[in-house]
Amino acid sequence: MSNITRINRSLHKQFGGRFCVVPQQQHLSLQGESDNWHAIVQAGRLAAVLFKGEGGVVNDVHYIGEQAQPTRLPAVQDNTLDGQAPDVLVIGGGVIGCAIARELARYQMDVMLVEKECDVAMHASSRNDGMVHPGLDLKHKNTQKHHYNHRGNAMFKELCAELQVPFKRSGQYLCFPQPRWLLWAGKFRWNSHGIPSRFYNQKQLRRRLPHIHPALKCGMFFPTAGAVCPYTLTIAYAENAIENGVRVHLNTAVLGMDVHENKIIAVHTNRGTLKPKLVINAAGVFCEDIAAFAQDRFFSIHPRRGTNIILDTKFSKLMSRSASTLGTGAKEGYSKHTKGGGVIHTVHGNLLLGPNAVETIDKEDFATHAQDLRTVFGHQTKTSEALHPAQGITYFSGTRAATFEEDFVVRRGLYTKNIIHAAGMQSPGLTAAPAVAVDVAQWAADMLQAQPNEDFNPQRQGIVDATSLNNFARNTLIRQSPDYGIILCRCEQISKGEILAAMRRPLPCDSIDGIKRRVRAGMGRCQGGFCCPLITQVIADELGIPLDQVRKTGEGSELLCGEIKPT
Amino acid sequence: MSIQTNVAVIGGGPAGLAAAIAASKQGADVLLIEREARLGGILKQCVHDGFGVVRFGEKLAGPEYAQRFLNELREYPIQTLTQTFVDKIKPHPLGWKINLVTAQGMRQAFAKAVVFATGCRERTARQIGIHGTRPAGVLTAGSAQYFTNILGQLPGHRCVILGSGDIGMIMARRLTLEGAQVLGVYEARAMPSGLPRNVAQCLHDFNIPLHLRKTVTRCFGYPRLEAVEIASVDEHMQPIAGTEERIDCDALILSVGLIPENELLETLRVSIDPVTRGPVCDQHGMVAPGLFCCGNAAHVNDLVDYVSESGEIVGTAAAQYTEQPRQHAKIIAGQGMMYATPQKITLPAGKFPLYFRVREELGKSRVVVRLGDTVLAKKTYLTLRPPEMERIALDLSQVALQEGQEIMVEIL
Amino acid sequence: MTNLICITCPIGCALQAQLVDGKLTVTGHTCARGEEFARAELTNPMRTLCTTVRTNDPACPLLPVRTQGEIPKAAMMDVMRLLAGVTVTSPLTCGDVITSLAPICDGNVIATCDWPF
Repeated sequence: MSNITRINRSLHKQFGGRFCVVPQQQHLSLQGESDNWHAIVQAGRLAAVLFKGEGGVVNDVHYIGEQAQPTRLPAVQDNTLDGQAPDVLVIGGGVIGCAIARELARYQMDVMLVEKECDVAMHASSRNDGMVHPGLDLKHKNTQKHHYNHRGNAMFKELCAELQVPFKRSGQYLCFPQPRWLLWAGKFRWNSHGIPSRFYNQKQLRRRLPHIHPALKCGMFFPTAGAVCPYTLTIAYAENAIENGVRVHLNTAVLGMDVHENKIIAVHTNRGTLKPKLVINAAGVFCEDIAAFAQDRFFSIHPRRGTNIILDTKFSKLMSRSASTLGTGAKEGYSKHTKGGGVIHTVHGNLLLGPNAVETIDKEDFATHAQDLRTVFGHQTKTSEALHPAQGITYFSGTRAATFEEDFVVRRGLYTKNIIHAAGMQSPGLTAAPAVAVDVAQWAADMLQAQPNEDFNPQRQGIVDATSLNNFARNTLIRQSPDYGIILCRCEQISKGEILAAMRRPLPCDSIDGIKRRVRAGMGRCQGGFCCPLITQVIADELGIPLDQVRKTGEGSELLCGEIKPT
Repeated sequence: MSIQTNVAVIGGGPAGLAAAIAASKQGADVLLIEREARLGGILKQCVHDGFGVVRFGEKLAGPEYAQRFLNELREYPIQTLTQTFVDKIKPHPLGWKINLVTAQGMRQAFAKAVVFATGCRERTARQIGIHGTRPAGVLTAGSAQYFTNILGQLPGHRCVILGSGDIGMIMARRLTLEGAQVLGVYEARAMPSGLPRNVAQCLHDFNIPLHLRKTVTRCFGYPRLEAVEIASVDEHMQPIAGTEERIDCDALILSVGLIPENELLETLRVSIDPVTRGPVCDQHGMVAPGLFCCGNAAHVNDLVDYVSESGEIVGTAAAQYTEQPRQHAKIIAGQGMMYATPQKITLPAGKFPLYFRVREELGKSRVVVRLGDTVLAKKTYLTLRPPEMERIALDLSQVALQEGQEIMVEIL
Repeated sequence: MTNLICITCPIGCALQAQLVDGKLTVTGHTCARGEEFARAELTNPMRTLCTTVRTNDPACPLLPVRTQGEIPKAAMMDVMRLLAGVTVTSPLTCGDVITSLAPICDGNVIATCDWPF
């Protein structure tokens, strides 16, 4: 019985006659009609598990249910980029795209990165838990996820030192309600795969994590786990890329491509048509759409929404390190493709709870829902009962770019010659990014026969964090630049000097949220209640624009509606 | 360049101004520290009137009320540092060492007593569970007030206001006067949270509807707010499924409560009252030896007049502070009480005002302050409402209180 | 019988008032000011208007002001429009008159803090 017949038989058994697969050159097309998105996702997964081929399972099901919101596209339409012919065009300004752009700058190539949003790290790269994973998933150890996670994790210390991005290798606990003997086998396997781990019994665990749930009987500690700020890393990558000659164009969306004889010859954007020699697809949840433009669609994305909750820094003492719990039974709202996040100790000293996993058709489904919060709290209180919803200061949702294979797609094009995909990036995509970028850049250099760039400077000067300085150094800084002595964000103690510094970087930043993501102004417990008007004034003064043109994020997000005026 | 002083007051709003003046009146050296460029605190943006009825017998505008204290401040040798931020405070042989961030550099101040007059902050959309998108156009009433009254900018043309606290209703009137349309004020509780007179003069006068037992559950629109979802709530304040309606608007303004801001004080490991969210204080506003707290940082007041009163009491006590062993009795919020402050009494008790809030709206009621079976004070009220803070002047100078004894405040 | 909320002080008494042939009957008030308020409310309601006027200092573009006494409630929007055309250019002390309301009603508008700040 052929593989295809077997898949179709399984699909028939589980879904009636609703879905079938049809083999295409080297991938599998899932076909049928349905108004049930979850069923489509399940069918795709089923097919992906059984299919052994070069490509993956592609979702060609005619979906007749509630449609996704239209893709958010930049309003600007001009021809400022028309006719440009970079050697490499990177599509997508997430951590993957920016990391690749920076690694490409190590070679003598003309590199352009386009991002449809008004800033980099606007999607999954700013909507995750910032965990640098140790690589615990041994069930799927022959996956790209596992490979890149392992390599990426080892790169973080040096990378973050080069880019001046805060990183803490603070380790992670994995806690279990079962007694200890179950873990010996696991420990052996983790250690034998180069993932150091330590075993703790309940007493040892409680000494290290006094607020751990009493039902948890033992735990493993993984010292190689760490925490990084994901958007700071992305911005740092982008800035270092720009400093090394990469051109980054924001508000620039890829709208289509011309492909001739399996080669991309033109890329259409809202700023004109580009003629790159090589295209790199790092478009996150939109990577399938880019692959389709390139006539190289051999995988599909089913977005999976996750919600994270951030607690006030004053509750960070509840958990001195990140901790997750396994084996506490059914996890409603959590997929089996996540261990359910955990209680993460962020690099900024907050505790972060999350994320859950909810399948959604909408790639930009960043709305939060009360149910998601309840799910996340319900699950994370199994790690510690001391957690309480009132400790939260904010929460956010993001979407993971999951393929049916639940693995990364880091490879050259299957049908189209001049494209490299860095697609299907979901957790542990952040951990994997540095290693993925090195490989992709190497392949690109090989394809274009590029020579190393002798002038490449891997060092990036970060924005000074005045609160981290001792009094003497902080005093010296303020004497040089008094703006560093004017605190505007009281919760996070961010000065006017840091805010102005954020606006004067290689990558433009002119919005309230852009500043927030660079220097944390407005991220504290008042959520910008006090500092938002003050920062609005700073932005208006710095840019020389009226107050009512200051934006929260991108175009159309102006905070104010003009001067007060009685009617 | 360090400063040595008897009393350092952190915060130059109404509580801090009153505390600094009162401490100086006692002859103490006083340092007043304000993080903004101007003294006056939130009063600067409260251009509406109604301040000072209790204290001055007049209805003053917020800046006008502050101006009276600023004028008085000038008559005393009080050292004032504006645009100065306290980032750390630590015990020191001289009392307390305060680390200051200023535009001129880092400075240190050493004070025998420190008064925390740090006010409060607003609850945010995240804290009350408003979901959906994160567009521009969602802001707290305080931010909206700053934009409107300090910067002269309108936060929206079609505004929905969530929460019937005083500032929400006052912003409804203000925005209407300045050319915006206020579509309605929504309140999850069964009663307005603010003063009745503000319902009358801010809403009724301008035909702005007040919708009780309704809340905002969701935002729509991106990048700018386009609509909100309103839902009725049940008695536990939870939205009732099926009652949702969508209201088109471009601004959502939140007046959903205030939280005393004591994060700096909390770094000194003082105990925080979970109900008031301010520190546990004695009748002089003393939190711990040499540490004092007053105004909205101690508990959210409804009238600035009481904030000033608390500043004066605390400023006076801080100026007189000496290190010595102290004995305490307790004040317990009994039947029907949401809270009563001070929470403890340093002996001897003397005369002091007791402030309380009730748990639920009551008709004619009698409030009794008693020690065991001995009634120390009683007062009859025609109505008692949770939003309104009440005050009883206590004189315990003739009462032989002992360490650890409990004074009960309750409704009979 | 008209139901009113007295705005004279923070208590906000709920008043029931009636004016028959110039004779006022009020209940629910707890002081004499409540009676005065009810009379005014039934004949010529008066309000204090608090607002801002522009200054010529871009760093501090607004100065808070209020009407010196109460003005007819019906005149509030007219006064707002009048004040929209006023810009303060010279130093003022809290309480100084900024403009007269002569074209609209009796009274003045005064500064509610010193300026420049």
